[in-house]
Amino acid sequence: MKARIWSRVTPYLFLAPALIFMSVFTLYPLVAVGYYSFTEYDILRPPTPVGFANYQHLLNDNVFWLSLRNSFVYLIVTPTIIILSIALAIALNRKLPGISFFRTLYYIPVITGSVAIGIAWQFLFNGSGGPINGLLIWLGVIEKPIVFLTEPDFILPIAMLMTIWMGVGYYMVIFLAALQNISEDLYDAALIDGCNRWQKHWHVSIPGIRPAIVFVAVISSLSALKVFDEIYILTNATGGVLNSGSTIVFYLWKQAFRLQNVGYASAIAMVLLIITLSFSIINVRLLEQRDD
Amino acid sequence: MATIARSQTLANRSRMTLSSAAGWYVVLGIASVVTIFPFFWLVTTALKGPNDAVFSFPPQWIPYEPTLHNFTRVWQQITVWRFFLNSLFVATCTVILNVTVSALAAYPLAKMRFPGRELIFYSLLATLIVPLELTYVPGYILAVRVFRYDDTLWSLIFPNVFSAFNIFLLRQAFQAVPNDLIDAARIDGASELRIWAQIVLPTVRPSLATAAVFTGVTSWNALLWPSLMLRTREIYTLPVGLNTLRGMFSADFRLIAAGTIIAIIPILIGFIFAQRYFVSGLSGAVKG
Repeated sequence: MKARIWSRVTPYLFLAPALIFMSVFTLYPLVAVGYYSFTEYDILRPPTPVGFANYQHLLNDNVFWLSLRNSFVYLIVTPTIIILSIALAIALNRKLPGISFFRTLYYIPVITGSVAIGIAWQFLFNGSGGPINGLLIWLGVIEKPIVFLTEPDFILPIAMLMTIWMGVGYYMVIFLAALQNISEDLYDAALIDGCNRWQKHWHVSIPGIRPAIVFVAVISSLSALKVFDEIYILTNATGGVLNSGSTIVFYLWKQAFRLQNVGYASAIAMVLLIITLSFSIINVRLLEQRDD
Repeated sequence: MATIARSQTLANRSRMTLSSAAGWYVVLGIASVVTIFPFFWLVTTALKGPNDAVFSFPPQWIPYEPTLHNFTRVWQQITVWRFFLNSLFVATCTVILNVTVSALAAYPLAKMRFPGRELIFYSLLATLIVPLELTYVPGYILAVRVFRYDDTLWSLIFPNVFSAFNIFLLRQAFQAVPNDLIDAARIDGASELRIWAQIVLPTVRPSLATAAVFTGVTSWNALLWPSLMLRTREIYTLPVGLNTLRGMFSADFRLIAAGTIIAIIPILIGFIFAQRYFVSGLSGAVKG
C-alpha cells in the first residue's frame, strides 16, 4: 500500500522543484507585472490603482513609440546574421589544415561578452580619432571625423553591427553542426545532376539545414527585439542623444530603475509580452507550414 | 556506370578542393581579420605609453613607447580575478541547478503516465513566451523585499534555475531512450530516482551538454540583472565589474583597455580547454 502511494506521487516529486521555481520566478512575476501596470508604484510606497492611466500615457509617449520602432528596426540583424553565419559555416565545413583554429577564433566574440566588446567598439568608433574614422578619411569617404556614438542616426546601426559581430560565431556553430549532418551522397548526386559548386549549396545545403535556419531565426529575432546590452554599453546607459538608441527593453529598464516609475514600466513590459506572444504565434505557424 | 560516374565526381571534387583551398583561406582570413581587429585595437591601446596618442589622425597603430605599466596599475587597483571567480561561481551553480531541475522535470513528462501530465506540460510550454525582461521588475521587488538576497550572488542564481527550454530539450532526448531499458530496471526493483540517475541521464549526455552550454553562456554574459542586484564591489561579476571599470578610469583609455584584456585572458584560456564541449553542446541544439 505504502509502495503504491509512493509510486503515485513519484512523478510529482520529480516535477516539484521545477514547478516551485517556475511559480516564484515566472508565474508570480507575470501576475505581479499585470497588476502593477494598472497602478502607480515607486517601490517605496505601496502601489495605488490608477486604472488604464499608464496605458493611456503610453499612447502619447513619443519616446515609447521611438523605442518600439527601434526594436523592430533592430530585426534587420536576423537575416543578416543568418546569411553571414551560413556563409561562414559553409566555408568552415571542409577538411582543410587549420580549420579548427578558425572555428575557435570565430567563436571568441561569443564568450568575451558584450561589455568587453562594447568597450572595444567605443574605441573603434571614437569620434576624436578612432580607427574607423581614420579608415573612412583615408578612403576619402568622409572629410571630417564623425562622432558616431552621439549621432542619433548612427547609434542604432552601430549597435546592430556589434550584435551581428558578436552573434555570427554562435550561430555559425549551430549551422556547422547542421551541415555536418547532411549526407555526402546528396552532394555527389547533385554533382552528377550537373550542379556546380554554388548550385550544390543552394540545392542541397540550404534545404538540408532548414530546421537550423528556423531555430536560429526564432532565437535571434526574439533576442533582437529584446536588445539591451549593446544600447546600454555604447550609450553609457543614456539611451543616446534624444533617446535615439532607446529600445523597448532599454526604455523599460529606464522607467523602472532610473525613474522609479514601476507601474509605467510594467505597462511597457505588458506590451513586450504581447509582442513576443504574437511573434511566437507567427513562429508556430511557420513551423507548422514546414511540417506539411 | 553509376559507380564510374561517381568515382569521377569524387576525383573532380578532390581536385577542386585543392584548387579552391587558397580561395577558402582568403575568405577565412578576411573573416579572421574582422574578428581579431577589435581585440588587436584593445591590445595596442593597452600597450601605449603616456606619450603615445590613443586617438589621432591618422590612427596610431603601434605604440612607439610600449609599456606594461597600464596592466600593473589596473591589476593593483581592481581585482579582476575576483570578478572572474564570482562569474565562474554563478555560472557553475546556475548550470548545475538548472540542468538538474530540468532533467528531473523532463523525466516524468517523457516516460511516466499520471493525471495532470498534459496540463503541466502545456503550462510549462506557455512560460516559454514570457520574456525574461518582464520578470525583472517583480523579481527586483521579490529580491529586495521578500528574499532579501539582493547584493548576494544567490540573487543571480535562483531566478535562473527554471528553464522551460531546457525541460523541452531534455524531454525530447528522454523520449528517445528505449522503454525496454527502463522497464527492465523497474522489474529489477530499481527506484525511479536510480533509473533516472544511472540509466536515463548517461544516455542523453549530448543534450545535457547543450542545455549546460546555453545556460552557462547566458549566465556568464548577463549584465542587466546582475547590475541591478550587486552593489558591493567584492561580489561583482565580470560584466558588472568591467562596466564600472569605464567609470573608474574614465579619462584614461589605456587603463580601460588593459583592464578589459586582463578580463578576457582567463576567458580565452578557459574556452580553449572547454571548446570541445561548447561545440558539441551547440551541435546538440539542431539534432534534438
